[in-house]
Amino acid sequence: MASRTLSRPVLRRRAVTALLYAALVLFAVWVLFPFWFLVNSSFMTPAEAVAVPPHWIPEEPTLGNYSAILAGQVAPGGAQVGLRVLTALGESLAVGILTVVANLALGGTAAYSMSRFRFRGSRLSYFSVLFARLVPPIAIVAAFFVALRDLGLINSRYGLVIVYTSFTLPITILVLKNYFDGLPRELDEAALVDGASRLQALWYVIRPIARPGFIAAACLVFLESWGEFFYALTLTNQLTIPPVLAGFRGFFQFNWTTLAAATVLAVVPPVLLALVFQRYVVRGLAQGVAK
Amino acid sequence: MTTPRRETTAARTKAPPQAGSRLSDRQFGLVLALPAIISLVLVVGIPGIQTLIYSFQRVPLSDDPATFVGTDNYGKVLGDESFVESLVVTLQYTAGYVLLATVLGLLFALLLDQPLRGRGIARALLIIPWATPVIIAGVMWKWLIDPQVGGLNAVLFEIGVIEDYKPFLADREWALVFTILAAAWHQASFSALLFLASLQTLPNEIVEAAKVDGATAWQRFRGVVFPWIRPMLLVVVIINVIYGVLQFDTVWVMTQGGPGDATTLLPILLYRQLFIFSDIGAGSALAVMLGVVAVLVSSIALILLGRDDPLAA
Repeated sequence: MASRTLSRPVLRRRAVTALLYAALVLFAVWVLFPFWFLVNSSFMTPAEAVAVPPHWIPEEPTLGNYSAILAGQVAPGGAQVGLRVLTALGESLAVGILTVVANLALGGTAAYSMSRFRFRGSRLSYFSVLFARLVPPIAIVAAFFVALRDLGLINSRYGLVIVYTSFTLPITILVLKNYFDGLPRELDEAALVDGASRLQALWYVIRPIARPGFIAAACLVFLESWGEFFYALTLTNQLTIPPVLAGFRGFFQFNWTTLAAATVLAVVPPVLLALVFQRYVVRGLAQGVAK
Repeated sequence: MTTPRRETTAARTKAPPQAGSRLSDRQFGLVLALPAIISLVLVVGIPGIQTLIYSFQRVPLSDDPATFVGTDNYGKVLGDESFVESLVVTLQYTAGYVLLATVLGLLFALLLDQPLRGRGIARALLIIPWATPVIIAGVMWKWLIDPQVGGLNAVLFEIGVIEDYKPFLADREWALVFTILAAAWHQASFSALLFLASLQTLPNEIVEAAKVDGATAWQRFRGVVFPWIRPMLLVVVIINVIYGVLQFDTVWVMTQGGPGDATTLLPILLYRQLFIFSDIGAGSALAVMLGVVAVLVSSIALILLGRDDPLAA
């Protein structure tokens, strides 16, 4: 093939493209390197995990860490984590689902109201939602601690659901209100003209159409709930998975490989959820959370 | 915002209240919103006020009534040496965190906005650190940089950056750096997702027109792209500042505030006041100060963004 002489702009453009792809690779490393290390460790024996230099692929891969957790047994190296991790994952799931349900029911109706109706105090309601969104959870933990203690709801999944609603409900309302605002009012009106009540219009017409909004809100709320650490640490005795992972060293005979497996199990649900509903989540994030 | 007003009047003139519903539109709207509003009063309003009250009280652990102590708790918190130290650490932490999370986020967004092959996959990758709970980011980074089991030491050793495996978290400065890095790893993705959403609304014609006019990439960024995303930049910076000041998770799991007090951020101090020293009064005073700062910072941002009337947005 004849050698081509390339003009300078073409060369420049190629160099830029090469640089961009190099940056893309660096970006992928930034995201994946910690995960590679985590997943890799979770398939190792404790002995292999301390090898110097480290193995980037397990030489003797083992499922021991996972099976110990899933079967509730003592893990390789003697870590007694099994029971606790599975129960905590279950509790995290329960708290997440209950929080989502409470959010969609309370937030869905309120957002619809704020999008469609004006009433005495509707502005105040909206501002109170915005204000509630700005109050950092950590700033009101003392009151929750005393109140839940007096109510006997310390270390209770329902206690956590109540507390989590305090910082998720404003997000839900903002995301959903934003979504409802984008739906033409003619939809509601047509339903009303056809003889539906206002509640029926909301339930049978708006709710199905607003599904993407609900999915976005549900995902955001579940992710917040699943990863919440501060309240779970202070208001429960390692009820959900975050404090269990954080307290591994203090409470179990420790080994990193078992913690790695538990961490993998804890990180798969939220990552999967976000990937599956990527489009909805990103839109909800941009429209609701950033405002 | 003209639409809802128009719609309500339209609805009112059009519709005599349907059978079975004796509520006017106004009442119906209120009834729909009420459960959520009452909930927010119960789980945000009252705890907020209660915390404010605690901050002026001495709260015994037993059932004995709390006693009013004026501003003693605030004096106690502000007069404590550890508060000043913690404030300095928090400011350092926040500065590093905001810078890293925002700049990396912007770079990622600009990169993933380019028409590159594999961009779809890369955008899916982008969401992963954000979907990873901060606490888990802390766990991963803690062990990634561990001298015994971690991989980072080996990498840095191989490429000659360090001469020996280092227990980074035992070093005051490295501990701060890596607790920042772990949290920023999560947050840079968040920033990037928001920047990317903003970039995608930038009309392509504008960029193309600038190209036709012979603007260089840097000129296009300065003259077109940057002005376009500036409102979003403000949002992202504000959110990052607040998350930085309130950061707890990564620090707790990686260093618990140590070594010494090197990473004792204000939220860690708050935790200690409330749950180690069981001083609900002093803890609440600190909490109120943190809360007021957070609310003030974001309110100022809302005003700067011209959203002081959000209903008109």
